Formats: sequence, structure tokens, C-alpha cells
Amino acid sequence: MNHIDCKYYLATDVFKGICKRTKESILADEPHCEDFEKAPKCRYCKHFTESDEFMGLCMNQTHAFPDMQASTCKTFSWN
Amino acid sequence: MTEQNNFLECPVSNYYGDVPKGEIQAREIHKQPTPRVEKIRQLYFNTQSSASVEFPYWYTRRWEELEGEIPIVRRAEALKAAFEHSTPAIYPGEILVMGKAPFLRGSYPMPWLSEAFFMAQEGELYQAALDAGKVSADQVTTMGQGGGNVTESVGNVISIAGKFGLRKEEMPMLLDIAKKWYNKSVDDVGHKYEQMVPGYHEKEEIMRAVICMFDSGYTLPQGREVMNYYYPLQYGIEGIKNICDEKMKQTAGYPDMDRIYFYKAVYIILEGIQTWVKNYAEEARFMASLEQDASSKEEYLDIAERLDWLVAHTPRNFHDALQLVWIFHVAVLNEDAISGLSPGRLGQILYPYWKRDMDQGLLTNEKTLELLESMRMKFTEIDCFASMGVVGGVLSGNTFNNLCVGGLTKDGNSAANDLEMLIMESAMTCDTPQPTLSLLYDEKLPEDFLMKGVECTKIGTGYPAWVNNQVAMEFLLNNFKKEGMGLEEARAWSIGGCLETSAGSWMPLVVDGVTHYIPGGSAPATSVGVHFLSLPKILEAVLFDGLDKKTGRRVYPSHGLALNSYEEVWEAFKKYFDSTVEVLTLTNNIQHDVWGRISPSIINSMLKPDCLDTGRDISRKGSRYNRTFNVEICGGVNLVNSLASIKKNVFEDKSFTLDVLKEAIVANFGYAPAAETGAYSLSEQVKDSHYNDWLKIHKQCLDAPKYGNDDIYVDSLFREWQEYFSATCENYISLYGEPLYSCQISVSTHGPMGAVTLATADGRLDGTTFADGSVSAYPGSDKSGPYALFSSATCYNHSLSQNSQLNMKIHPSAIAGREGARKFLEMIKSYLRKGGFHIQFNVVDSRMLKDAQAHPDKYRGLMVRVAGFTQYWVELGKQIQDEVIARTEYSEI
Repeated sequence: MNHIDCKYYLATDVFKGICKRTKESILADEPHCEDFEKAPKCRYCKHFTESDEFMGLCMNQTHAFPDMQASTCKTFSWN
Repeated sequence: MTEQNNFLECPVSNYYGDVPKGEIQAREIHKQPTPRVEKIRQLYFNTQSSASVEFPYWYTRRWEELEGEIPIVRRAEALKAAFEHSTPAIYPGEILVMGKAPFLRGSYPMPWLSEAFFMAQEGELYQAALDAGKVSADQVTTMGQGGGNVTESVGNVISIAGKFGLRKEEMPMLLDIAKKWYNKSVDDVGHKYEQMVPGYHEKEEIMRAVICMFDSGYTLPQGREVMNYYYPLQYGIEGIKNICDEKMKQTAGYPDMDRIYFYKAVYIILEGIQTWVKNYAEEARFMASLEQDASSKEEYLDIAERLDWLVAHTPRNFHDALQLVWIFHVAVLNEDAISGLSPGRLGQILYPYWKRDMDQGLLTNEKTLELLESMRMKFTEIDCFASMGVVGGVLSGNTFNNLCVGGLTKDGNSAANDLEMLIMESAMTCDTPQPTLSLLYDEKLPEDFLMKGVECTKIGTGYPAWVNNQVAMEFLLNNFKKEGMGLEEARAWSIGGCLETSAGSWMPLVVDGVTHYIPGGSAPATSVGVHFLSLPKILEAVLFDGLDKKTGRRVYPSHGLALNSYEEVWEAFKKYFDSTVEVLTLTNNIQHDVWGRISPSIINSMLKPDCLDTGRDISRKGSRYNRTFNVEICGGVNLVNSLASIKKNVFEDKSFTLDVLKEAIVANFGYAPAAETGAYSLSEQVKDSHYNDWLKIHKQCLDAPKYGNDDIYVDSLFREWQEYFSATCENYISLYGEPLYSCQISVSTHGPMGAVTLATADGRLDGTTFADGSVSAYPGSDKSGPYALFSSATCYNHSLSQNSQLNMKIHPSAIAGREGARKFLEMIKSYLRKGGFHIQFNVVDSRMLKDAQAHPDKYRGLMVRVAGFTQYWVELGKQIQDEVIARTEYSEI
């Protein structure tokens, strides 16, 4: 898991972001710290079925992708 | 041939006055933003343009679920889903929040408009676009290599269009979505129908030759217009929903049923916007929960409280009003690919709230400045996702959100106010590209206001541009009288985009029981239609009987003229120009009609008078004013200089024949083409082995009369061109049943359009840029001082056209100090009093620009004026950088 997978990660751009807790600059693809908590993403949703590394299905019918942010999805449910 | 110096044999001086010596001179004034905003600006400097697939994913997903629904309602539901699912992002220190996408410089593709250009270049869809001439401009555009541009793919990030980064894990979904829009996007559906236009084949050849830069219907269907914030300010989001609710009851079941679908669509989208705002409020509370610092925690909670309030109520104060304005600005930007969505006369719109807060002691100048600087950062963060040709070749990465100050009130008095003084101050303390400023100059404006404008211009940011209020009003009254515009309403105008005169209206905003008439846009996108015609390239086609000599492809049928006289050359030019405008008007009308059917504007329509009253969106002429299609041109000065050279050298002095001139043009007067040298201005070119063969002819071409020197020989040709241009536009009818009008701004198109054009008869070399703007002199050719340039520029009536554009470069020493500022203002006034429409300045030592080109890392914050917009130097492509360096530098005025 990397910073980009953490619920405290605030992306400034596609390469990097800011930790919402510490306000420090962090790189998206560097390993997370000990305060890590998983961000809600499709890959952690019980309605999501992964079909390959980058694609899957939501509710077994609609294309979705594992790294999609799901904090605003009303049907998101931790798997 | 003996090898001599390796540079231009007929040198052009790029200075008027003494050539600066000694140390590079810095700009005179440099201010700093408040510490809060400086932190955000530094964050911006370290941020790359980033694209997200989130918004298009949810849009497309909902769209697919609703097959069979009324199209405008289906689109509203799709937009609602996208807004509701946008991940909120609030950055430390922000006091104004919300953005397009969950990145600081976030944006996203809109495949429902066009899906081909961001496909892999080896892909089938991209090849199809290439064949149709849709991406030709992309091939000849240079994108800035620094700043926030993601110019190449690195690690888990893929570069799109040389500017935007997209996470690798999102790319398969983007392609999946794009394929869903294949044959359904505005681009594809429009393409199917535009092929029915007689002469369509010629249109494709015109696009391939980059005689026309791009189709507006599916690239930037909205923009170059002025926002209208009246309805949200007056009624609030919930209040507008109530209006829609009432209107639906009044219209349901009655004829003209489109109205009920429109009101329903507006209602649906407002629900989506409310959820979007609530999600941000929730995120602000989450950020507050993590915050240790008490004052920061309080700020996050204040943000949350403000957003919660604005979901259902009208603004209580200046800060609320500014936040609400920003919410709707971003909301409109999220419904379409848009450049040039201008806030208009924001200082006059928000003045009632500001004045009340100041009078009650609730606000200070310092706090106002901090808010205005924060607003500048939010506008600067806006990115527009489009193809390389559009983003790089036209926009130079800019988004043209023009904020206007000055002008007149409804009853004809000066509209300048103290909030506008602070707006100009914030543009100096927080000197960022957005929003750019335009000062609507009128003789009634107070002197201290004008001096503030000069102080701002002198810092070298290129703003405010100085724009002639009376000329604009004359243009508007000429063009919109038929639709009911009178003198009072003409005063409500503003600049949309970089320099598009846009119709406005006065709306009765009630604050504390007092009615204030605030100005706002009341017309749709003004710069749609025939977008950027390359005049030198059309003249090239005339000389080579309809061929694009660069590629050998036939663009136009043979004109059938022997070109035995200057008059025949001019006739052939008009013939090709007219046929170009004709076919492009028809194909663009189809594209925009398809846009209105598949992807109509709902949010922007709701805001524009009188769509909410009539129940019609802007694509169905719901706006108060609808004569908004135009013909935009580029390279007018090179055209006229070339015509003067042909007239004098070939037909009057008979220095050489037209055939010899054509040979010289093909031989590039004995120099290497810019594509080989990588240098795009005339001042830095490299000879080839045959240059001696063409030296004399090249000198004669360079010595021919040049525009910008108060020379009646060439100025009379310029006037003839201008009068013909504006008159011929009237012969073509837009989708809205109104005649087109002329528009002349180059933006950045003089770079890529120059790149595909052979040498020209005025001595310009192959592949180099054209003169910028529309009445700027060709670099180095204005040798007679600013007042001679002004005389040339005003040799015709500027109110014939939507705009004119004059850009000048002045050395800081020429206008130093208070005395210099006074002299500078008098010079500006003299141009505007002669009837000039617009003038803007780069106040900079050219040697600094050369140093910045060599050492970009030292100049991250350096900004220059291009043509209607200000941009960070490091984010400009080399074509435009070279052209700005080459512009004549005035060390005396």
C-alpha cells in the first residue's frame, strides 16, 4: 500500500499530494506511514468484482475500476 | 558560395529607441501576496496539470442507464450524477473552496464532445480523426516544456496532449468510456451530418492545411462569454429550484413542450450541485476534525458552515457572495469544455455586499485583499482539457477568465468603485495569470482609477488590457439593435474570453431591500463559428492556384486567374476567403446544432437572461442576444504586408515577376525552414547554400512598405482588407439565423499557423510565426514610433469588428517613475481617443526573456502577455516564446 491508497491522502496532482493529518508533502507512489487507513475505493467494496488489474464490475453489471475513489458513492460498502 | 555570417543577411532591428545596455532591467514594482495566499501560490507552482476520469465515468454511467429519456433531461441526470460523485478536495489555507476535479489543477476529458484525440495515436479512432483533418493543428503545435505541463509519461503517470497527466490505473477506464461515445459524441454525430454540406471535401482539406485551426462545435462549444451570477445571488440555489418548480406547473401539457424539459433539467442539475456543495462541507468538517491548530480548525468549520448555508440560502455577506459566484463558475466549467468563461464586471456585481460589510465594520481592506488573492488562485488553477492543437496552439494552456473594471453604469456614469481598486491591487500583490483584467476605458472614469490601472500595467503582467468602452458600445448597438438592445443595455457589456466584446444586461439585485442594477452576460458563447482562418496561408493558396504547396495537396479548385495584376491577386484572395467562410459556416452550424441536441448547456443557460423566463436553453435561442457567431482570423498584418510587397515589387516597380517571387518563397529566400532550426522568429534564422541567389529579392520584400509606420501605401490596403472582411461576414448566416461578424484576435494561433506556412512575400520566412494580435506590427517592422503605429492601427473604424488587438512591448525604463506613468497613461489615452479598441503591454526587458528561455528554472513566476492573455513564460511553447522575444521593444515612447 502507498500514500495514494490512504484516506488521509489529499492529491495535489497525479504525482503527489499532502497528508491531511500532518500537512506534509508526500509522493503518491511511496509506501504509506504507520497512521495509514484505507481510503474507500471500489476495490474494497463488496459490490465490486475485479476482472483484471485495472478493470472490474460494479453490481455485476457496470464497468468500474479498482482505484476509483468511492468516498462519495452512496452504495459503497466495505468488503 | 563563401561562408559568411550565418544569420539573416537583411537584419531587422527589434528595438525602437536606444538598445538597452548593461544589466538586465527588472520590472519596476514587485509586490507580494498575503502569507496565506503565497503558500497556496507556491503549492500551485509545484503542481502539475492533472486529469481525472471520475467525472466522465459517472456522467457516462448515468447516461447509459437512461437510454430513451428526453435528451436534455438525460444529460441533466448524467451531470447530476457526476457532480454528486466528485471527490471533494480542500487544500490547506484555502478560504474559497471547490474545484473542477480532485487535483489542484484538475480537469478531465469530455468524451461526449469528442473522444478521438486522446486515444493512442496509433489507434484507429485517432487515425480516423487524422484523416478528417481534425487533428492537423495538433501536429504542428509546440507545447510549453516547463511549469505545470506533464510533457511526458513517467512512472505511473501517462502524459496526454503533452500537458495533462493521468494515472496509469485510470487509462483503461478512460478508453472504455471513450469507446462508449464512439459514433455518439458531438464530434462523431456532427461529422456524419456535416458531410452533407456541398464542398465538404474542401473543408477537410482546409483543416488538413491548417488554414482553419479547429471546429468549435465539439472542441470548445461554450466560452468566450461573460457569466451572469444574478440568479444565484438573488434567489439562491433553492430559490431557483422553486422558480423551476413553478414554471413546470405553468408549462406542463401546454404547447412548446421543450420548456418543461428544460425546467426539469435545471431542477435536476441544481439538486446535483447541492449535493456537490454538501460533500465539500462534509470534507471541511473532516479536515477540521484532523486539525490541531485552533484557528485552522475554526477556518474549516467556517467553510463548512458557509457551504451548508449556500446550499439553500442567498448570501449574507461578501465572503458568501464570492463563494457562491465561484460555485457557479466551476459548475459551468464542469458542464462543457470551455475556455474564456469570464466573470465580467465582478467588482460591480459584488459591490453591494462589500460596501455593506465595510460600512458595518465586518470587513477590512486587508481581509478583502486576502479574499481577492484567494479568488485569483482559484481562477489560476483552472485547466481546460482539450487537444494539443486547442490547448497549446490556441490557448497556450490559458483559460481566459477576463475580469473587467471600469465602464459605465446603467445611467451612464462612471462605474469604477473602491472594490475594483482593490481588485487591481490584488492583481499586483498576487500576480497570477487568472483572472486577467481589462479596464473598460471611458472618458468619465476618474484619474486615480486610471492611474491605478497604469500602476498595475507597469508591473509587467500584461494586465489590465485597455479597452475602449465607446467603440465596444457602438459595435454592440450595430449588431444587437435588431434584438432590442438600446444605449442603456449596451453599457452593461463586458469582455468574454481574451477580447470578445459580449452583450450584457442590467439585473435588479436586491440587497437589504435596496435594488442595485448589476451587469452580467446575456448572450451565449461569442467566439463560435469559423475559428481562426490563416490569411497568409490563403494567400499562399492563391499564389499556387489552390494548392497547399507544403504538402502538394489541392485545397481549393483552381481560381482560373492568370494573376497578371494586383487586382487579380486580390480578387482571387477574396474568392478563396469567401469559399472558406461559406463551407466552414455551414459545417459549424451543423456541429453546433448537434451539440445543442446531444450536449446542451443547462447550467449556463439557467444563468443567462432570459432562458429561465422563456424555458429555452441557449442553443434554442433562449438568451436575450443571439447574434454571436463570428469569423476569427489570424495573420492579417502579414497578409497586408505581403499584398503591399506584391503590389509594389511585382506590379509597380516590376523588380521581379510573380513566378520568380513564387520560386523565392518555395526556396524560403535561401534560409533553412524554422522546423529545421527550431527558431520561430525572423531574427534568428540560418542560411542555406543558396541564400545568395535570393538575397536581393528578399531585401526588396523586407523593404516593401510595412504596416505600422503610418504609411498610406500599405495602410490603405489594410483598410480595404478590414472593410471587406467585416462586410463579407454579413453574407453568412449562423445556426441562430443571424449574420456572422468579424473577430480578430490571434491568441496563440500565429505560432502553429505560421509553422505550416511557407515564406511570405513580405519577407517572413517559412515556419516562423505571424504577427500577433490583429493590429500589432510584425516584429521589427514598426520603425517609426508608437504614434505612427497608432495611426496605422486606426486607419479603419474599429467598431466594424468585435475587437481589434494591439500588443506592444515596452522597456521598463521608458515608463519609470510617476512621470513615466503619467506619460504612459497619456500615450494609452491617445490611442483610445483615436478610436483604437484595445491595447496591452509587455513591460519587460527582452534580454530577460532570452535569459528565461535559456534558464527556465530561474523564472517559474515570470509572466508575459501574448495576445489577449497573460501566461507563465515557462508554460508557453517555443513558437510563442520566440515571437514575444522578437516583438519590437520600445525604449522610448
